[in-house]
Amino acid sequence: IFNNRNPRNTAVEMDPVEYTLRKRLPRKLPKRRNDVYVNMKTDFRAQLARCQKLLEGGGHREICVHGLGLAINRAINIALQLQASSQGALQLAANTSTVELVDDLEPEDPDEAGEPMTRTRNNSAIHIKVFYPDPQ
Amino acid sequence: SEAEMSDEFKCCTVMEAQSASFNSSVPSSSLSVKLDQSNFRRVSRTEDSSPYPIPGLGADVLHMRVREGSKIRNLLRFVTARMDEEGRDVNRTALRQVVFTGSGRGVTKTITCVEILKRKVGGLHQLSKLYYKTVKEVWDSTQQGGPTGTAMQRTVPAICILLSKDPLDPQEPGYQPPQFPSIPTEDTERRGALLSPKQFKPPSLYFYRY
Repeated sequence: IFNNRNPRNTAVEMDPVEYTLRKRLPRKLPKRRNDVYVNMKTDFRAQLARCQKLLEGGGHREICVHGLGLAINRAINIALQLQASSQGALQLAANTSTVELVDDLEPEDPDEAGEPMTRTRNNSAIHIKVFYPDPQ
Repeated sequence: SEAEMSDEFKCCTVMEAQSASFNSSVPSSSLSVKLDQSNFRRVSRTEDSSPYPIPGLGADVLHMRVREGSKIRNLLRFVTARMDEEGRDVNRTALRQVVFTGSGRGVTKTITCVEILKRKVGGLHQLSKLYYKTVKEVWDSTQQGGPTGTAMQRTVPAICILLSKDPLDPQEPGYQPPQFPSIPTEDTERRGALLSPKQFKPPSLYFYRY
């Protein structure tokens, strides 16, 4: 009997073969000059300074600060710091989204029957527009 | 886990009771949490009573306070039950709006909750606001003869997200319209995972079908 469900999927849970979990990098996102992708590896002050430079020296009216997962907090922190140091001249507009991430499962022992697999999961992200409001 | 769940639930109902007046200060219980980082012990922790950054909120809004240790399934079970049109009580109408707030390490969880709820319920308008929350802490020395208690003020990043079944002002910074076209159910998501390129091969059974 042909089973419509992938039979190997049910085998995944019981498979004794050990796998190494390898997290792929998030899907490459569009990058404009005024996009800042915040991470947890770079020094906080360096990332804050980069944003300040874009707004003050770079002549951008708005920048977009993005943060994924753990870096959400840092992205918010940077945006709020920018706003505080501008004496209220800057405004924030935050949007949230879900980003699909892919993990690779590679068998530890290549001789075993295990096949390489992929697994997708979701993570939350934030996109904060930091901008000078248009004078009205 | 059973006890934990009921505790969480109790917590939610308390939140709900407080939701009527948004400006009321919510002193968190003065826990004596012992931290291993130094010889100091936190005596009390008071969160500020900052007014909600979202203007014009109705009094009937449900307020969900997401903390670091909150379980997403508990929060969502509570909210979906209250927002569900069919599952409402006879004298209680289904909720139109819900506010999620979280600070510090609870921010990510707050966003995750909102994102899952948006997928589950669908057609929700969203308004997100960022702010700093000030937390006053009093620390006491645990060592004899050491320095005595110190008061500390910390600012932690916080987020406040309003989800509404009714339309919101699209001009307000932080507004997000509902995303109608792609509401992936959990099922299609899983199927998508199955059919990811590396994994997708016809099962060998396929060839013996005839």
